[in-house]
Amino acid sequence: MNTINKKNSTHSQRNAVSEEHNAVNKGRNTAIEVSNLQFSYTKESPPIVDIKAWQVSQGEHVFLSGPSGSGKSTLLNLLCGTLTPTQGDIALLAQPFSALSNRQRDKFRARNIGVVFQQFNLIPYLSVAQNINAAVYFASTNVSKTASDAKLRHLLDKLQLPSHVLHAKADALSIGQQQRVAIARALINDPQLLIVDEPTSALDTDARDSFMSLLKDVAGESTMIFVSHDKAMESYFDRHCSMSELNPSTNHIKTRGDEATKAQERA
Amino acid sequence: MLSTIAIESLKRRKTTAILTLLSITISISLLLCVDIIRTQVKTSFTRTVSGVDLIVGAPSGQLNLLLSSVFNIGTPTKGIEYKSIAALQSNKQVSWLIPLSLGDTHRGFRVVGTTNSFFDHFKYGDMQSLEMAAGSTFTQPLSTVIGADIAKSLGYKVGDKIIISHGLGSVSFNNHDDHPFTISGIVKKTGTPVDKAVYVTLQGLEEAHTGPKHSPTSMLGRKSADKANEHEHEHEHEHEHEHDEHTKEHAVYNSEAFTPESVSVVMLGLKHRVTALQLQYQINQSKKEPLMAILPGMALAELWQIMGNVESLLLGLSGLIVICALIGLATMLLATMRERYQEIAVLRTIGAGPFTLLLLIQIEAMLLTIVSAALSLGLVAGLMSALKPWLSSTYGLFLSSPLFGQSSVIIILLILGCTYLVSLFPAVAAYRRGLHAGLNANS
Repeated sequence: MNTINKKNSTHSQRNAVSEEHNAVNKGRNTAIEVSNLQFSYTKESPPIVDIKAWQVSQGEHVFLSGPSGSGKSTLLNLLCGTLTPTQGDIALLAQPFSALSNRQRDKFRARNIGVVFQQFNLIPYLSVAQNINAAVYFASTNVSKTASDAKLRHLLDKLQLPSHVLHAKADALSIGQQQRVAIARALINDPQLLIVDEPTSALDTDARDSFMSLLKDVAGESTMIFVSHDKAMESYFDRHCSMSELNPSTNHIKTRGDEATKAQERA
Repeated sequence: MLSTIAIESLKRRKTTAILTLLSITISISLLLCVDIIRTQVKTSFTRTVSGVDLIVGAPSGQLNLLLSSVFNIGTPTKGIEYKSIAALQSNKQVSWLIPLSLGDTHRGFRVVGTTNSFFDHFKYGDMQSLEMAAGSTFTQPLSTVIGADIAKSLGYKVGDKIIISHGLGSVSFNNHDDHPFTISGIVKKTGTPVDKAVYVTLQGLEEAHTGPKHSPTSMLGRKSADKANEHEHEHEHEHEHEHDEHTKEHAVYNSEAFTPESVSVVMLGLKHRVTALQLQYQINQSKKEPLMAILPGMALAELWQIMGNVESLLLGLSGLIVICALIGLATMLLATMRERYQEIAVLRTIGAGPFTLLLLIQIEAMLLTIVSAALSLGLVAGLMSALKPWLSSTYGLFLSSPLFGQSSVIIILLILGCTYLVSLFPAVAAYRRGLHAGLNANS
């Protein structure tokens, strides 16, 4: 009986979140639409991600929080297309993203999704210019080199990076510089969707605020999913989504976390 | 872009990459060397005997006869008597005859006693005749014609005098000091053992051993000292005449007029090549003096047959060494895979597919092998150029251009094919990793 009550309570919470979101974003196109999404690393294990419905409107900046093992990174990997859902659908920018072939998903990601990691954002042995140009290369867009170089210089200016860093190896930069280069790389193809995974965890408060201002400034009208443990950052975003609400089957948090690690190690 | 990433990735791991590069370079060089020696030996030997139909000598092994007479390798066979030579000369099937008397040297170079018929009839390569770079053929009994390499390495020119030594060693204590030979001509470079031989007249050679006795026309029946193979010369150098007297006596010198009692071997050119087997049979059945006639082509075929197994063994071993080096390359790439998980994750998130990652690893492997192959080609070319004089003087192997032929191209293509195959192991590992690489790159 208790379980039924709990389920009903969770369901009503989710409906409330969804209604609130619909009210705020009425008239905006949908950037992300997730329905009946499930993912598990093995057939036998319970799903790590189980989301009935979730929507993000275009241009919306969403703050996604949740404890370790709550499936944040797995959800981001599903949104990036580096993991394939076990069940359910993901539509990105009105494209049936999860129904695309692996190759199509890779191309879609290169052109439309910019990603910033928590750390290890760059290929250490490549120069800053090579790191950023790699993103242009994989996107295979028809942008000319001149236009691409101009865009790169513009981004460096905005991110307050001196032009000489272009020729420096990525691992010769400070962590802060590396993160700004990662943002430049994520934005070089003008992606409509920006996924940022805990980029401020290694920064102090001042540096964090500065970083967030910069990110918000350069992200512009791109849709952004920002993941962090730090709920204090919620104020920078249009909406806050908690993984415990979005992905409520949290009975096996510990087990799931371990299993995910093991499954990835096996892979 | 992929090649830039691959190059930068290899530069990042330069110590292991250089060591791998070295092991592949050495192994490819070894394989190329074996192949070059194999093909050059065949080319060098085949181009040396293009115009000779039969070689006649005292009975021994046909390979020994061939190697000592044509390639100046090994010990000359026992001599054959003049009467046998005369019989061959009168044979209707014989078009020309070149007598060769072997066994002496000049500063390590072989001395060959012969007549002007050698320069008229001996052919090399694609039936090319010998040509003089300077001077002329024998003009008097103590004339000598030298090969192009000798002239170059010892700085000789026409008119210089040289002294020959008894025996085949490079250092001899038995020099024919009283009979200096005057260089009458230098043969144009041929790329054959001719370049490294000193040709003297049969008469001059005999005089060097026994001293001048009579005019060439009265030499018939005279005891010849030409038993070079036996090294039993009677060194009774009673030099009664001065060198100048010879030139006065023989204003127009006919080297064929001299009749030695024996020579080491005789090369025969036939009027019709089809009669070679028949004449060979006749000579081998000769009852007056036991003789042995060989067909140079068949003797070479026997040589290739003997060498074939050794060739295969050497090629096989060298091939295995290359495969070991390539497995080393695959191991190096596999071993670095764990430290590359982060870059694989980064590449995946910026749009590289798993197949691109597979390709990237294969490009790295191919780059290493291509650079190794280029280095090997340079190394082998340099090595062969440096060893050229030694190979020709010690083994009678004359390297000719092009050094790298079709077989070298095939070898390099095969090595690239093998690289593609062995690099599949680390490439598939990268591919599999790429399938699951995601945002948590540090996992």
